[in-house]
Amino acid sequence: MLVVAKSPAAEASYFLDYYSHYANYKQDHTFNALSMSLGAESSLQSSSSSEDFAAFLDSELELASCDSSPNEGDVTNNEEIDPPQRSKKQKMEGFKTSEDLETERLVKPIEEHIGTSTLGKNVICPPHPGFFKGLCIRCGQIEEDESGVAFGYIHKDLRLGNVEMARLRGADLKSLLHKKKLILILDLDHTLLNSTRLVDVISDEEYLLRQIDGMKDDSDRSLFRLDSMHMLTKLRPFVHNFLKEASSLFEMYIYTMAERSYAIEIAKLLDPGKVYFDSKVITQADCTQRHQKGLDVVLGAESLVVILDDTEVVWQRHKDNLIQMERYHFFASSCRQFGFNAKSLSELMKDERESDGALATVLKILKRTHQMFFDPALGSDVSTRDVRPLLKGIRQEILQGCKIVFSRVFPSNSPAQDQPIWKMAEQLGATCCTEVDPSVTHVISTDTGTQKAHWATQNKKFLVNPHWIEASNFLWQRQKEENFSISNLPSHTIVDCTSKAQESVQ
Amino acid sequence: MFFHITLERNMQLHPRHFGPHLRDKLVAKLMKDVEGTCSGRHGFVVAITGVEDIGKGLIREGTGFVTFPVKYQAVVFRPFKGEILEAVVTMVNKMGFFAEAGPVQIFVSNHLIPDDMEFQSGDMPNYTTSDGSVKIQKDSEVRLKIIGTRVDATEIFCIGTIKDDFLGVINDPGVTA
Repeated sequence: MLVVAKSPAAEASYFLDYYSHYANYKQDHTFNALSMSLGAESSLQSSSSSEDFAAFLDSELELASCDSSPNEGDVTNNEEIDPPQRSKKQKMEGFKTSEDLETERLVKPIEEHIGTSTLGKNVICPPHPGFFKGLCIRCGQIEEDESGVAFGYIHKDLRLGNVEMARLRGADLKSLLHKKKLILILDLDHTLLNSTRLVDVISDEEYLLRQIDGMKDDSDRSLFRLDSMHMLTKLRPFVHNFLKEASSLFEMYIYTMAERSYAIEIAKLLDPGKVYFDSKVITQADCTQRHQKGLDVVLGAESLVVILDDTEVVWQRHKDNLIQMERYHFFASSCRQFGFNAKSLSELMKDERESDGALATVLKILKRTHQMFFDPALGSDVSTRDVRPLLKGIRQEILQGCKIVFSRVFPSNSPAQDQPIWKMAEQLGATCCTEVDPSVTHVISTDTGTQKAHWATQNKKFLVNPHWIEASNFLWQRQKEENFSISNLPSHTIVDCTSKAQESVQ
Repeated sequence: MFFHITLERNMQLHPRHFGPHLRDKLVAKLMKDVEGTCSGRHGFVVAITGVEDIGKGLIREGTGFVTFPVKYQAVVFRPFKGEILEAVVTMVNKMGFFAEAGPVQIFVSNHLIPDDMEFQSGDMPNYTTSDGSVKIQKDSEVRLKIIGTRVDATEIFCIGTIKDDFLGVINDPGVTA
């Protein structure tokens, strides 16, 4: 579309007519500038949008001056070139530039719009905030960028950069604090439910399969058959109420190490209306580290997160946010998997009680944490508060004031402070020591015949078995020592132990 | 944008189909192979409207397959950068919303949503203006501008914006109820 700078005088006059027609047609100031220069002696006034123009013009003029014969020298020495020729050249430039202006304007609008006016003042896109299938979500350019974190659970082709994630987390923090909500991350298996494969169902459990047929219209049903996955699922008692009550205080996510298809099926059972977990189901495929769950794929501030999971191992990086729950072993296959030989709840035809089962207990703790976090007595600025010290504080109240000595619980050649039960007792607020002294309150032992056990009975100190500590941990309450005496030390699972505790609490 | 264009393709046919219905079988195979696919140049082939010409078949050496060059007309859909489209919102979340316009999936991130619209989570997550007059939620119809496209073998992805004049919600599903 460029007009070549060779033109005889006849063409020049044609250009003049064309150009003046153009100048009247277009109202833009750049055109006015050019039209003014037609008659004027001064050089081209360049406007802001034709900065490049000036350079472009100069280069074209260089060309023009060497090519066409009537031209003498270059335009910069404009005073010396006679007016008609000069005006002719300017007209030619004028025409060229107007034409080019026009084409450039036709081509430019998209880039200009994207670059400046309509998308906001500071759209600098080389820090691309995130990518949707390789396309930058702000400027649309294709960049194969493997940095940042993939958010496959929101959309399979979405990736976000660190800056964008920080920005989203900040925005989320503000909106949640405004709504007075914290974040709750829930594990599925053994926490909210227990699943087994249909092939693993033993004969004593077959009555369950018969029960399912009668349950079709029961809205409170907790036993489901997932035919597409060949599995049987039992929801933990109280789960529906738990979710309903927790949703008013927390924004909830599901984070499981199972496969996505399974997680989506379970989410449909727990949340048929897609109210709690819509696009917030994180699965194994989304984890950035193998066999480890992390809060890097959660678009929420870490200081607001409370995690509910039965295993601590997968949350190495976020132990402070974790509330470890007692495992829900309903099916026999689940017990066997964890090496317990006792009968499972399905075989015993029993179940956890709704009113004070694990979920009900944890709900109380969650409500208390929420209340402490948003306590108006702590002042009006909520943004600097953190849920982790609160959880720690609540835990430390459980066995406060207890001084514990262990006897025949772990081998004496290994460092005592590294033992998990020692650490658990300390987390619960007790002080542990290795030797007896008058300030000791409890002796934990597996055998009544040890020295320390004798000392305890002699000095009227509490002598309990190790399950006392674990039960206190899971029930968030110091348990009655009488129920954990060594003579009735159970060799079976914690489930039975705590249910026993619950029965005696009654 | 939709186009009605003539395309050409070399179709291979197995000898078992040779017979009185050769042409029909060829056309059926063409439809099965081509409809629903995408290419970078033409976009998404929506439907074949007619077969213009089927050339002479060439027997491939070594096998009994025969290759026919087929010229056909098809309706194709290809989004362009800078194009304005209407789309239906399929998912809304704190990062923006996903919309669909036929076979094309478009993502509008919250960088490209006007600043006065804020995300409201809840059972129907949506973007709402501060006075509540305009609401974008699932199944709303939205007019948006495409700012980037990418085509792969079966799908087309686009990034869109509603931060320009005359863009945004056309039809609010809540209003009509």
